[in-house]
Amino acid sequence: MKPAVFQYRKAETTREALEALGTNPGAKVLAGGQSLVPLMNFRLSRPDVLVDINGIEELTLVEKLDQTLAIGALVRHSTLSQHPLIEREVPVLAEAARHIGHWAIRNRGTIGGSAVHADPAAELPAALVALRASVVVGAPRGERTMPADEFFLGYYTTALAQDELVMRFEIPLPARRMGFSEVVRRPGDFALVGAYVEDSDAEAAVTWFGLGAMPERQVVEAWPKGQDERQALLERLAREVQSDDEYKYAMAVNVAERAYLAAQKEG
Amino acid sequence: MAQAMRPQMMGARVSRVEDPRLLSGQARFLDDIQVPGMLEVAFVRSPHAAARIRGIHTEKAVQYPGVHAVLTHQECSVLLWERDTYKVGQPVLANGEVCYVGQPVVAIVAENRYVAEDAAELVVVEYEPVTPVLDMRESILEQPRRVHPEAENVFFHKKYATPGFDEAFAKAPHHLTASFRTNRQTAVSMEPRGTAAMVDAASGRVTVYASTQSPHRMREDISHLMEIPEHLVRVIVPEVGGGFGMKANCYPEDIVVVAAALKYKKPVKWVSDRMESLETDVHARDDIHDVEVAFDGDGKIIAIRDHLMADGGAYPAYPFSGAVGETSLASRVLTGPYDIPHLATEIHCTYSNKTPLGAYRGVWGPIASFIQEGVVDRVARHLGLDSAEVRRRNMIRPGQFPYRNAAGMVYDEGSYLQSMEEALTLIGYEGFRARQAKLREEGRYLGIGISVFVEPTAMASSEAGSVGYESCTIRIEPSGKVTAALGLGPSGQGHETTMAQIIADQLGVRFEDIVILHGDTDSAPFGGGTGGSRSGPIGGGAALVAGRQMRERLVKYAASLLEAGEEDIELGNGQAWVAGVPDRSIAIRTIAETAYTNVRKIPEGLPIGLELTARYLPKRPVTFSNGTHIAEVEVDIHTGVVEVTRYAVVNDCGTLINPTIVEGQIHGGVAQGIGSAILEALHYDEDGQLVTTSLLDYLLPESTDVPRIDVRHLETPSEGEGGIKGMGEGSLIAAPAAIVNAISDALTPFDGMVDTLPVTPPMVLQMVSGGRTR
Ligand SMILES: Cc1cc2nc3c(=O)[nH]c(=O)nc-3n(C[C@H](O)[C@H](O)[C@H](O)COP(=O)(O)OP(=O)(O)OC[C@H]3O[C@@H](n4cnc5c(N)ncnc54)[C@H](O)[C@@H]3O)c2cc1C
Repeated sequence: MKPAVFQYRKAETTREALEALGTNPGAKVLAGGQSLVPLMNFRLSRPDVLVDINGIEELTLVEKLDQTLAIGALVRHSTLSQHPLIEREVPVLAEAARHIGHWAIRNRGTIGGSAVHADPAAELPAALVALRASVVVGAPRGERTMPADEFFLGYYTTALAQDELVMRFEIPLPARRMGFSEVVRRPGDFALVGAYVEDSDAEAAVTWFGLGAMPERQVVEAWPKGQDERQALLERLAREVQSDDEYKYAMAVNVAERAYLAAQKEG
Repeated sequence: MAQAMRPQMMGARVSRVEDPRLLSGQARFLDDIQVPGMLEVAFVRSPHAAARIRGIHTEKAVQYPGVHAVLTHQECSVLLWERDTYKVGQPVLANGEVCYVGQPVVAIVAENRYVAEDAAELVVVEYEPVTPVLDMRESILEQPRRVHPEAENVFFHKKYATPGFDEAFAKAPHHLTASFRTNRQTAVSMEPRGTAAMVDAASGRVTVYASTQSPHRMREDISHLMEIPEHLVRVIVPEVGGGFGMKANCYPEDIVVVAAALKYKKPVKWVSDRMESLETDVHARDDIHDVEVAFDGDGKIIAIRDHLMADGGAYPAYPFSGAVGETSLASRVLTGPYDIPHLATEIHCTYSNKTPLGAYRGVWGPIASFIQEGVVDRVARHLGLDSAEVRRRNMIRPGQFPYRNAAGMVYDEGSYLQSMEEALTLIGYEGFRARQAKLREEGRYLGIGISVFVEPTAMASSEAGSVGYESCTIRIEPSGKVTAALGLGPSGQGHETTMAQIIADQLGVRFEDIVILHGDTDSAPFGGGTGGSRSGPIGGGAALVAGRQMRERLVKYAASLLEAGEEDIELGNGQAWVAGVPDRSIAIRTIAETAYTNVRKIPEGLPIGLELTARYLPKRPVTFSNGTHIAEVEVDIHTGVVEVTRYAVVNDCGTLINPTIVEGQIHGGVAQGIGSAILEALHYDEDGQLVTTSLLDYLLPESTDVPRIDVRHLETPSEGEGGIKGMGEGSLIAAPAAIVNAISDALTPFDGMVDTLPVTPPMVLQMVSGGRTR
């Protein structure tokens, strides 16, 4: 379980990082390393060059701009879970981050890494979709911005090109209020299935993770007040998502119901 | 007087002498062994469950910079074969065919592991896959084919019945049937396996560092398989980070490493990584039991019929198959602590295209308890009786010891009923039912599960082999300090502490003045090693006997030097004195000086020096520990997730050497029991690929999964030395049954009863929805 041979480059600025990515077609970004390094040790990932972005200051910022909250790609899960601005503006993101792995993992893992790794059962990609966030991507050609739900394409697959760098995420403010719930076999595990349920003035919606190949957001007219009716609707919605495991549908409905109840408390 | 001032070490809560080095990262494990010029090995392993090998191309690997050598079966053709017992054995490197995923095919010896793994990728093996044999019931019928053309798939078959079984079974008023399934697990020791070997150029002897439980057995295996006389092999076992039975075998990698060191006259090392560990450490617990039970209207169980099946994997692990251990022993203690007169068993152990089955803590026990306790709960539910009451009605009574069970095993005295009653009190069984009923109304499903266990320990024959005795050498150094050596192979049990406690009491020296050596065949006397819960009772017994013999010698010295009668000599605190006259004393240091340097003063009839070896073979072939575990769980019927909320243990392992260490053993076993009950499973897909090859997929219990555990001790001494019984396995024997019975209890409203380990969320949801539609 040793990685194949690779070169290591430490980037001090985004420009250096983009340059390194642009000139080495086999290069990969190293952020927290919590997903990439295990994959390299299994030799499932074998980059020629690792471009370490951990020293790039501008990727670590959490800033309230005019209409958005900007979160740098290198912001750690532990920062997300504790940052006062995030706690105040998007509490659901802080809560979701607390459910990722354990302390050691949260201290290293980053929101950018989680998004680019695009594990279908991960908490943060679904949060970005549920919050209707945008992904700001840097490339040698210049920056581009895309909605989160266009960023995720499937199992471990995103719209990011090899030479691109995720710079930050922009969450529209005021952030949508929603409830979060997930099923795990052990605290800190990836979710078997999870859901964010929004029941705000803006919209009624559910965003699933761990159910299909990527986060799936569905909008409904309104959540029925009656539990049976609501669960029937959730079941219908869940079944629109293609899942490998039949048992997940029952779980998904129950999880979404819990997220709905949490959303009522958020209210 | 001084003697009374010093508390007896036996039974005291002494802090483990091992802990400072372990907790501060100073312990030296196998991978810490670095020798100049050491080469490292990586293996090319089979990606197929079953395939013929049409060609192996190693040219590119040989030429890769940093590669020292590449070995295939041609260069290393040792066969791990226990000829007397089995018809087949595993070649240490595959010979023309592969029989399970992960089987070693080629070994790369290189300057480091990185290079070795690079080169391993360059080896091309041409495989021609064949249909794998994966299902136990089919394998018994030789379907879809034989795993080994030269041998039947069933490699162990045995039938047994008590006289009059059929009649007793037929006449009983009530019957029920159930089929129980346990799924593959493995020990997942924190430190994986590993071996390092080097040849001493001067003497020609080979030194093998091995992460194993049985130093002498490893020496014997290497000597036997490689045809090197034993005195030319030295096995050193460094700190071992967990064994759990899994490190009781000699593995292909061990032999390849030794062969490479001998062939290339270089130090060579291999350390398993986690993927190799999950794929190739012996697996365990792959069993099916088809059970029929006959009982009367009071819940008294009259007869049990059990068809036991175990999937032994592709080869018998060397030198014993876990499948045989799991089934044959399970069949002999299937009635557990209950007085059940009739038993009929049939055993089939089969080959398959999976990893060989070996031992994992408890071996047969967790499986037998799962069945035995599952049977009792089914009888109770069938008759609408309280499950504790059904246990009471069937339990062996205090007056029945020594008790011969239906399979002919003789139990020595135990505290079966008492342990259960105390555990029921400890968990608050009475109050629980009311709480359970109330919470059910709120949609919360709590359950309680009882598991009363017997644990055969210190068996004449176990996974530690058939060395039924243990040896202890005690040497009092000229300084009066003590060095003692045993043939044990501890992997975290704290033998350096417990053995020193036993010896300190005998010699009257300070605990701190004793050093315990183990694990080096050059210094330790021949012994069986650690396994089968034998180190406490047999190893401890040997320490006790050796200590007593040395004490007699010290007393003779003191009597002679102090000019007193032997019967008047007392020992303690590093001194010997005449009883009642503390002034007439002599330091043990002075006695030692006399024994080594002032030899003319040695009392007549005594040898020069203070060194002796004693061996201890218990009179009974086995001694039974016992106890009761009770688990409380909460089942989330909406997600299928189970949480173990409370846990109580009443344990009886005879005379305690060190209660803290016993409790540590219990805590660990309960944690592993939680893993067995609700988390851990090795899963093969329909092609025979192991799909659980990392700890992302093979779920171990974590600290957050383990509740506070209330432990109480009972002490029913054994008839052996010191009254000690073994206790290394009981906690894992009992725990899974307690937890799954609690899950079944929680799901009573849905009619659910667990019959498979581990219980996963989808299974719980299935039980909930199955019950609803019924
Ligand atoms: C034991 C364990 C438990 C875990 N549990 C969970 C869990 O419960 N939930 C969960 O969601 N995750 C979990 N994780 C994964 C963790 O959240 C990872 O940190 C995360 O998925 C990846 O983030 P990273 O910063 O470590 O990225 P890295 O591992 O460094 O990189 C991951 C991928 O993203 C790319 N990348 C990273 N940053 C950028 C960027 N700015 N631009 C372009 N590409 C980039 C890398 O090239 C690589 O392909 C767990 C991990 C471990 C080891």
